[in-house]
Amino acid sequence: MATEDARYRESSQYQLWSFSPTQLAAMREKTNAAARARIAQRLSSMPASSRNTSAPTSSANTPDPDGASTPALPEFLTPAEEALLVTFNTSELLRAGDHAEMSDEIKATAAAFFRRFYVTNSVMTYPPTEMLMVALYFACKAEGVFLSITDFIKTFGRENPEEIIAGEFLLCQGLRFAIDVKHPFRALRGAVMELGTFPDIEPARLAAAEQRAREILRFSPLITDAYFHYTPSQIMLAALSLADRGLAERLIAETFHYVAPPANNSGAETPASSGPDAPAPSRKPAPRSDGEDKAQIIGSHIRDKVLGTIEACRDMLSKELPERREHWTNKAVIKAQITPLRKKLNKCHDPERWNLVELQRARREQASKKADSEDGDAEDKAGGGTIEPDGAVFGGPLPRDTKRRKMGKGLEDPFGPPL
Amino acid sequence: MLRKAPAGGRAVASNGTTAATSSLPVISSEDMCPVCKTIRYLNKDMEFLINPECYHSMCVNCVNRLFNDGPNQCPYAGCRKTLRRKGFRSAFFGDLSVEREVDIRRRVAAVFNQVEDDFETLKDYNDYLQMVEDLTFDLVSGTDAQRRAAEATLQQWELEHKADIERNRKAGKEADEQSRRRLAAEREAARQRRMEALREAEEEKLERARSREAELDSLAQGDVGAGAQRVQLKRRGQAAANRAVEAAVNAAVAAADVGRLSIRGLKEKKKAPAPEGPYDPFGGMDFVPSRYKLRAGLTHPGIEKYKHDPAHITGGYSFDEYMTRAMFEAFAGLGVFIEDEKEVGIGLSAGEVATISAGIAAVGDKMELD
Repeated sequence: MATEDARYRESSQYQLWSFSPTQLAAMREKTNAAARARIAQRLSSMPASSRNTSAPTSSANTPDPDGASTPALPEFLTPAEEALLVTFNTSELLRAGDHAEMSDEIKATAAAFFRRFYVTNSVMTYPPTEMLMVALYFACKAEGVFLSITDFIKTFGRENPEEIIAGEFLLCQGLRFAIDVKHPFRALRGAVMELGTFPDIEPARLAAAEQRAREILRFSPLITDAYFHYTPSQIMLAALSLADRGLAERLIAETFHYVAPPANNSGAETPASSGPDAPAPSRKPAPRSDGEDKAQIIGSHIRDKVLGTIEACRDMLSKELPERREHWTNKAVIKAQITPLRKKLNKCHDPERWNLVELQRARREQASKKADSEDGDAEDKAGGGTIEPDGAVFGGPLPRDTKRRKMGKGLEDPFGPPL
Repeated sequence: MLRKAPAGGRAVASNGTTAATSSLPVISSEDMCPVCKTIRYLNKDMEFLINPECYHSMCVNCVNRLFNDGPNQCPYAGCRKTLRRKGFRSAFFGDLSVEREVDIRRRVAAVFNQVEDDFETLKDYNDYLQMVEDLTFDLVSGTDAQRRAAEATLQQWELEHKADIERNRKAGKEADEQSRRRLAAEREAARQRRMEALREAEEEKLERARSREAELDSLAQGDVGAGAQRVQLKRRGQAAANRAVEAAVNAAVAAADVGRLSIRGLKEKKKAPAPEGPYDPFGGMDFVPSRYKLRAGLTHPGIEKYKHDPAHITGGYSFDEYMTRAMFEAFAGLGVFIEDEKEVGIGLSAGEVATISAGIAAVGDKMELD
């Protein structure tokens, strides 16, 4: 295994936040289903509501394309509609970042945070428009830019900093506290540096390709699921290949240059002109000079596989090229696609979780109440009420239930509430 | 008056007797022979003997007096056992019932002396032990009938298994002999070691004296300097080296010894853990790039201007570090195929992920409460 890959596998991005497309789809389905069940339960148990408490059956929950839903419960969003909303809000997030003149890294981190958060939490549970700001603010911190909250909200013409602060810990929980997001921006520079050493590539072509690739990286991978399915270097190469296919292929060809057969060891393998980036075997003393190992790392077999992966990534990115920014801000598109969803969302959102400030306040009260009851009379605790509200307030969507570690009593799930 | 006086006198008298009895020293069986009523006060060297026939104790004088002329009846009232002079011995335990039990157990053990190897299964052996213990209990504290029955069983067994008992007895003796020999050998070895250590100390002392003398000599001859120093150092080193070699040889011999005479129940010494290298915070991760090579000519138009920017160069910003990082990021994970790997679960399992994140989160959890 190549050392670079081994190091990448240590990252939280790989360990916690990389999924195959089927896994990701399954998780979203599960999140959606869990959100529906919980919201249906809450709506029906709302005392003030005049809705009759018909048990939510699956047929009642599935939104009927004909709009013939039961009067008892609102029509819920489907996973696909949720995904559309998340994507739209990601675009909004990027616009907000542009408006605040944030760096590419911050915007990208915020977008990654936002999308990660809504893998395990439903749009119907927490308001995406609020979480978007939270993600942006928190991404500033994660990238080492420490804005004051008042400055931040002033930029967006808001008044109440509580709205941002209330969602911050929630976001962290949703992210499973994996704050480090690996981006392809610096990787692009590395690739350009490498390509710049090839004498036959004109700097102008390189500069143009880099600019275009960077443009793509600023938008396409963020608004798609590329960060979940591909590594930053693969995303970078896919973007580069969209900008200038020749350059990307050249880089890959140079990297995976190893040809297995020649029995003679690779003294002739690094001719200065063609393969200057070949790791000279003399540099690595003992174990890796082995031919088989080298074939594993830089052989043609793995090159084909990398090419295939990059091609898939390229397809994904090409669906959301930077030109699509206009698409997401196009009034007609919004009216046709987003507004109906928003209306739907207004009806089916979670009554208890929607207001982040309220939620935060409830949590604080809960915590202090719990502390009190732990200090004082045990009777109060036993007679309880604490347990049920606990579940209600601290519970959160956890599609990966198996991953939950049973915490001690009094320690609520750090990964946030089940729905 | 008349009526009163005798009453009072009687009262006094009775008081007097009670006072007399309570003031007398309590004479236990330890201090008074129950047969001749001699007390220890009169005979300091009084010794009590018992006969395992009936375990009635009496003093040596009584034994001599009664049994010197041949067998006689036990002097205790109601005991009709005929005792012989030869059977008397001093009791080991103060409590004679214990003495008796020990004797009985010894006798039973001499008869029922099978060992575990004589049985096919452990259960058989345990049943046998249970049977023996029941029998012993009957003998020790059973009723008369039980005791008689147990006695009969014991004798019958002895009769039936004479050969076995004899064989086992011999085997037991041999084992005893062996362990005795082994202990003796160990003692001998320990003695040898002590002698050796003494001798070594002696030699070292001599050696020191000799080297000191040599030093003085060389000083007297006047060639002070590096030469003498070196010689001395060398000699000292030589002595140390010699000692080391000897120690190694001794250790080897000792190891061989361990092979020959094994001490039962002695735990095997754990091997010393292999020496660890220096601490590696990265857990053996390899930082040598395998797909690319960091070359000197790497540069990027975007960073050129910073190379002359005082804000960067004054602070000691390392552009090489930047190159390293950019190159690493350009190639890291190129061969990581998430779709394949996550499907088959390469990397961390779900459980591990949960543990890791929970560990991270346990800290973060407190923040919420502010």
